[in-house]
Amino acid sequence: MFAMSYKVQRYVILFSFLTLPLLLLAVFSFYPAVYLAWLSFTSWDGYSPDKAWVGFSNYKEIFTNADIFKVLSHNFVYFIGGIVQNILALIFAVLLNSRLRGRNTFRALLFLPYIMNSVAIAYMFTYVYDAQNGSLNALLTSVGLESWIKSWLGDAGIVNYSLAFISMWKFMGFNMVIYLGALQSIPGDLYEAAKIDGAGPFQSFFYITWPSIIKIVELSMLLTVSGALEVFDLPFVMTKGGPAGASQTFVTQTVETAFNFSNYGLASAMGMVLLLIVVLVIFIQRKLILRGEE
Amino acid sequence: MKKKQLLSTMAVLGLAMSMTAGCGSNNGNNDGTAASNNKATNAAATNDNAAATNAVASEEPAAPKIAGKVVFTTNRTDLVDTELKNYADKFHEKYPDATVEIEAIKDYDQTTKIRMASNELADISLIPGTVKNSDLPNFYMPLDDLGLNDRIYFKDNRSQDGKLYGISSGSAAMGVTYNKKAFATAGITAVPKTLDELFAAAEKLKAAGIIPLATNFKDKWPLYGWDQEAFIFANDPALHNTMATQDEPFAVDGPHWQAFSILKKMVDSGYVEKDLMSTNWEGSKKDVASGKIAMFLLGNWVVPQVVDNGAAAEDVGFFPLPLDNSGEAKVILASDYYYGIDKNSDNPDTAKAFLKFLIEESGYDDYAGFIPVLKDKQPKLAQLNEFMATNPKVIEMAAENDDYLAIANKMQFDTSAFAQDAIMGKDMKTVFESYNKKWKDAKAAVGK
Repeated sequence: MFAMSYKVQRYVILFSFLTLPLLLLAVFSFYPAVYLAWLSFTSWDGYSPDKAWVGFSNYKEIFTNADIFKVLSHNFVYFIGGIVQNILALIFAVLLNSRLRGRNTFRALLFLPYIMNSVAIAYMFTYVYDAQNGSLNALLTSVGLESWIKSWLGDAGIVNYSLAFISMWKFMGFNMVIYLGALQSIPGDLYEAAKIDGAGPFQSFFYITWPSIIKIVELSMLLTVSGALEVFDLPFVMTKGGPAGASQTFVTQTVETAFNFSNYGLASAMGMVLLLIVVLVIFIQRKLILRGEE
Repeated sequence: MKKKQLLSTMAVLGLAMSMTAGCGSNNGNNDGTAASNNKATNAAATNDNAAATNAVASEEPAAPKIAGKVVFTTNRTDLVDTELKNYADKFHEKYPDATVEIEAIKDYDQTTKIRMASNELADISLIPGTVKNSDLPNFYMPLDDLGLNDRIYFKDNRSQDGKLYGISSGSAAMGVTYNKKAFATAGITAVPKTLDELFAAAEKLKAAGIIPLATNFKDKWPLYGWDQEAFIFANDPALHNTMATQDEPFAVDGPHWQAFSILKKMVDSGYVEKDLMSTNWEGSKKDVASGKIAMFLLGNWVVPQVVDNGAAAEDVGFFPLPLDNSGEAKVILASDYYYGIDKNSDNPDTAKAFLKFLIEESGYDDYAGFIPVLKDKQPKLAQLNEFMATNPKVIEMAAENDDYLAIANKMQFDTSAFAQDAIMGKDMKTVFESYNKKWKDAKAAVGK
């Protein structure tokens, strides 16, 4: 090995270090993705040995069947929740970045929900939202707000907001930590100089803080959008898409299409369409936010 | 200093890499040997079998050798370590060379279909409901040589090209399971025989502070009974298959309309759980057992489960749901899962022997509260015998054919979701119209 030239050694190291991760990526990510793309052109039922080629008819069905795209309006609720979550996270990050007694405790408390397993959270909130014995309605009763009592998971008009709230509660701490990191990377002398020049707290936020963390905000929004498009665990565990399909999301619908109604071909096509939507959204977002910078 | 650091980092990394690489190849080797070992034993086993069958061929009386390990997959996660394990032990006692491993699967149909696709089907399994009969020969072996053909119900449901591929694990009658004490508390002296009597009884129960009927609306699947009642309204054991020949099967005043109307009236009159969207299936069994809720509309398999939840067996009764005011009792029998044996099973004779054992000797049908699949065996459930003693008109539900499954899958038709939509929708007529339209489109799309 030591007789090799420096260049060869470099290549040996490079290749040996990259082989394993690339192999894993290929086996568990690229191959399934390509296979999914291929399946989306078939009418496979999920178990038969024959996978009949049907061309674009699955895609045609997705774009002509209004029922499939209608559920994206449910995903939109999670997107709204995601925006609120980002705003709250930023407020908390700014607050907890200042000198505040016990700020580390608050940071830990707010971050805690993110560490919890999402299925455990789903079960926990099933009890909170339970219409008859749930803690939320019990709380409302005890403070005299009986008129606010709702069937939180049973009312078709409310269920998505109830679920979006949980995901907001869970991911807010994570956003906050990211924002905190960004805030701490801003040098303190900038604020000092601004203060000397007579800038108030709002001015220093909008002219120093905001421009410094805009990249991170962009990243957070990206995660929010793709997260909102791919919501799955909460409705799957808590409502099974009910009542009468009111909390069905694009992914739960895809899973149902594949497993309950034996239509893997269509479900694969739905997966591909979701992938394309996410790519498109990211592309537009980058174009909008990065314009003028390059 | 810096150079030294770099060097040591490199060294550590290099070491780590070689170690992981070592692990990788070691694992690979282990897997390889394990796999080949398995193959070897499997091959040996098949050889044994081949020898055994050859022997049978030459000298008639010798029975096939019952040996080796077979796997049985079931949906009963609750019984896998208790009742079902007993069956495996008893089978092992009977055939000391053979062992049965029982594996319970949650989300049974989904998981089993994935196993079918990857050729990993267990030796004995329950055939998922949505598998088309025309696909059966690809996965399962014919069971005609078990000698059960003339002795079983539902023989034609899972047959293809004249061969039997699936044997019913038992069947259940659809009807009302009720708590006799709750009825007595409300002052109901006789079981309702007509629809009016049913509603009158519900009114009395409601007045006594008892919830008359548990729908388990939220969980959706417990509504499947209302679809089965539609079979009785249509007087058609193959209603689903008949629907596959119609463009608009969901007519106003049609079978489904009539069945769902009873449920709708129950809901509108407040004869069901207070909040339909926070019903709780496990809890409802306890409530029926304790008399907080009076009735279920489900298969008779729920009777033993209510007893398990604390009711005395003599306090639980079962009667057919009255559909009209004629007083004539009608009931529909539907088969539960069908057993099938993997076409590529390594020990087919053992698998068949265990299947036969399950059906003839294990007593699982009695334990689960099923009506046995064997025609000459009487059901053990007292409630069921009481019920059958009234001589109701019995409809044996036929299997769903491939045309129906194709349309239903295309349209994503779920009978229980249909019941949910009909009840939750502002107007039942609009719901039925939209289902008719979807059915027609799906039927055209699959070209049936």
